Amino acid sequence: MSTTRKRVYGYLAEFKSASALYKAAEKIRDSGFRKWDCYSPYPIHGLDGAMGMKRSILPWFVFFGGMTGCATAFALAYSTQVVIYPTIVQAKPANIFTIPAFFPVMFELTILFSGFTVLFGLLALIQLPRLNHPLFASKQFHRATDDGFFIAIEARDPKFSPNQTKDLLAQIGGENIELVEEED
Amino acid sequence: MAHHHVTSADIAINGDHLDTTRSAKVKTIALAIAAAGTVLSLYLLFFAPEKIRGSYAYSWVFAFYFFLTLSIGGCFWTLLHNVSNSGWGTSVRRTFENLGSTYPWMFLFGIPLLCPQVQQYLYEWMNTHRAADGNVKEYLHHHDHLLYAKHWFLNLPFWYARVIFWGVGLSAVIIFLRKLSTDQDKDPNPGTKRLFRARFHSTYTLIIFALTITFTGFDFLKGLDYKWFSTMWGVYLFAGSALNSMAVIILVVAWLKSQGHLKHVAGAEHFHIMGKLLFAFTVFWAYIAFSQYFLIWYAGITEETSYFLIRNTGNWNTAMIALVFGHFVIPFVILLQAWLKRNSKWLSIMAVYTLAMHVLDHYLIAIPERGVSLGKIKPEVFGGIQVSIPGAFWGDILALVTIGAAFLFLLLRAIGQHSLYPNRDPRILESANLSN
Repeated sequence: MSTTRKRVYGYLAEFKSASALYKAAEKIRDSGFRKWDCYSPYPIHGLDGAMGMKRSILPWFVFFGGMTGCATAFALAYSTQVVIYPTIVQAKPANIFTIPAFFPVMFELTILFSGFTVLFGLLALIQLPRLNHPLFASKQFHRATDDGFFIAIEARDPKFSPNQTKDLLAQIGGENIELVEEED
Repeated sequence: MAHHHVTSADIAINGDHLDTTRSAKVKTIALAIAAAGTVLSLYLLFFAPEKIRGSYAYSWVFAFYFFLTLSIGGCFWTLLHNVSNSGWGTSVRRTFENLGSTYPWMFLFGIPLLCPQVQQYLYEWMNTHRAADGNVKEYLHHHDHLLYAKHWFLNLPFWYARVIFWGVGLSAVIIFLRKLSTDQDKDPNPGTKRLFRARFHSTYTLIIFALTITFTGFDFLKGLDYKWFSTMWGVYLFAGSALNSMAVIILVVAWLKSQGHLKHVAGAEHFHIMGKLLFAFTVFWAYIAFSQYFLIWYAGITEETSYFLIRNTGNWNTAMIALVFGHFVIPFVILLQAWLKRNSKWLSIMAVYTLAMHVLDHYLIAIPERGVSLGKIKPEVFGGIQVSIPGAFWGDILALVTIGAAFLFLLLRAIGQHSLYPNRDPRILESANLSN
């Protein structure tokens, strides 16, 4: 007899279409769930609103990332061109008024640092990369990358209850409702 | 954020028309100001004492080109919307077309610039050409080698031919496209035929637009100093034109919304996209403006640097630095915020601000040349080369108000002529249910 312990991840329910998923998401949002997510083969416009998601904090990271890039470039160009080794090129001044020559570098580093902050900030916020996800235990879930529209409500949500949550999903049009368990 | 899904039941079958009695008063006042201003301006351009005539010619170029950029921009957004097969902006496309439709009329304000009496104060190269007896090219060969070398482009017959083409060409384009669009409103079987026609004809006519914004800038503005050249000039004017015509479009749509129009078809999503375009072109303008400065600053060629030397002298320098911060840094930081772009009131405030900066931009394009050129052309009348001509500022305001009132009148007139959105366009529901 197998002694593998299993832990309940939550309920997974399939929905017929993108619009059914959208409408179901609105109802789950209104029921007050927090730990849940939608899975769809393609982005659905306005789904973030239907899920009641708050605006990401990422733009602020990017803003300060970009500012850091701009300041870094200025410091780099100014210290080398003006402080350490002032060079007169084509009768251009070697002081703060050399700044037009610094702009391309300041521009590029602003973009570069912003780009890095987008990439790494995003990965950190969505906790990627990861080796596995509990939902992969579900046999039907792979269809989320093909033609399946899913909603998963996690068991760690304070409003989660084994029977009521299942009923709710059935009520709002969920099919193939499945209790997903992950191996501990 | 659940919003009502717009269906064909929400679309007014006979269109959403502006109650013209509401705008009648503003229109009448604007027309009266424009008419009185035009009469006064014609006096100032042709019959006033020479000192005023010379100064006012520059005021006229400044105001004429300022409003021309807005009209040309309306044509640009219409063409771009058609050619890019866009669905988002169908609800506001009529506003693009209405703004563009002011172009043929606004171009008429350039007629004084076709008259030698006005040109003599603005375009020195024309004076040299007119001074030639007989063979112009032969004369230039002996008197001004630069003008001789540029003769293939800078010669009077070609200049007049070009200017007429700029006036007629883009006018024909926008009249045709607007008619195609408004005819659809009353067609019992609208279909998709006009949509495809508009898309097809917008492809090659986009070239006419590009030539018009580039070379009207050459012929009217760059010609103020025939020695000067900049490879960024056309795209610089285009950046300001696209940016500020979008500002006008935002203001018109916000006003129509406040009057209860465009009820189901345009909303926060549309303002968000237009706000993004406003932001994008704020950045684009700065990119181009800096590139122009940068290339000229680095190369340090005498013919090129004259433009910035004039504008970095005296108080013009303060205005140029104000332009850097006012036209780019401040709106850039403010427009970064997403919520602001979705809010029609805040976005309108930014649109007004952007237009104010556009006035400063074009003031700095046209006016600093005045004291220099007039002092060179007739020092005995205008008193030598100087930074600015005292008192000429009032003429600039008069010209701006005159042509601005005409612009307002023409825009309101166009808005009142047809349905405020293309109510039978096959893409109207796609646009109404926009989400971004």
